[in-house]
Amino acid sequence: MKEIKFTKENVRLNVQADDWKDAIHQGVALLEHNGLVTNKYASHIIRNIDEYGPYIVISPGIAIPHARPEDGAIDIGVSLITLKQPVRFHNVETPVRVLISFSAQDNNQHLNIIKLIVKIIEDGLIQEIADISSIQKLNDLIGGDK
Amino acid sequence: MLQILVVCGAGLGSSFACQMSVETVLKDLNVEAKVDHSDIASAAGTSADIIISGKNFEEQFSRYDLSQDLIFLERLVDKEEIKEKLTPVLREKGEL
Repeated sequence: MKEIKFTKENVRLNVQADDWKDAIHQGVALLEHNGLVTNKYASHIIRNIDEYGPYIVISPGIAIPHARPEDGAIDIGVSLITLKQPVRFHNVETPVRVLISFSAQDNNQHLNIIKLIVKIIEDGLIQEIADISSIQKLNDLIGGDK
Repeated sequence: MLQILVVCGAGLGSSFACQMSVETVLKDLNVEAKVDHSDIASAAGTSADIIISGKNFEEQFSRYDLSQDLIFLERLVDKEEIKEKLTPVLREKGEL
């Protein structure tokens, strides 16, 4: 899973976000900073949510901001932010504190990113990630060669 | 073979994650099926037997005239919910 190494380039912990849109912008800004998406990507995600509802909240407490490759993805990549204060999404009961944003080039190549997200949810690690205090601990918890 | 399509807004994140949970559930139930994922715009013309999507897409789907069995989930990667909602449909189709 070489594309999913968490470093200071793609992780921000305890971010202050005003609302869900701000949280998406901040998570996607890391992708943009790393040259993985264009500056249009975040607004495409927000537009999709306005149209279809919060499909990026796939389990209580976690959102996975992403859009289609043609919405401004340049390469496969991932970023992770945790929020100081949780943000609410419309029609979603549990507020979100963990955002794993990603970009993809087609429907399938980013399999490892999805596997990691499913593993985090199925192993019940969302709360632990929300409270994590360092990138090292984050990699110990979910990274490595798994 | 039974075909199942998992659908979300972009067709490559939430639906892909849900597909993995669906595949695990099918394995547990010992049912063979081909599972794929797509975005909602491409879902209208699908030949799949069963469509699985998030609750937030229920209204959207009601505008399409689809003959498939539709399953809407509160939690896309909740294997228990998937199993609970998929089992009766599989029984009805004679897959279980």
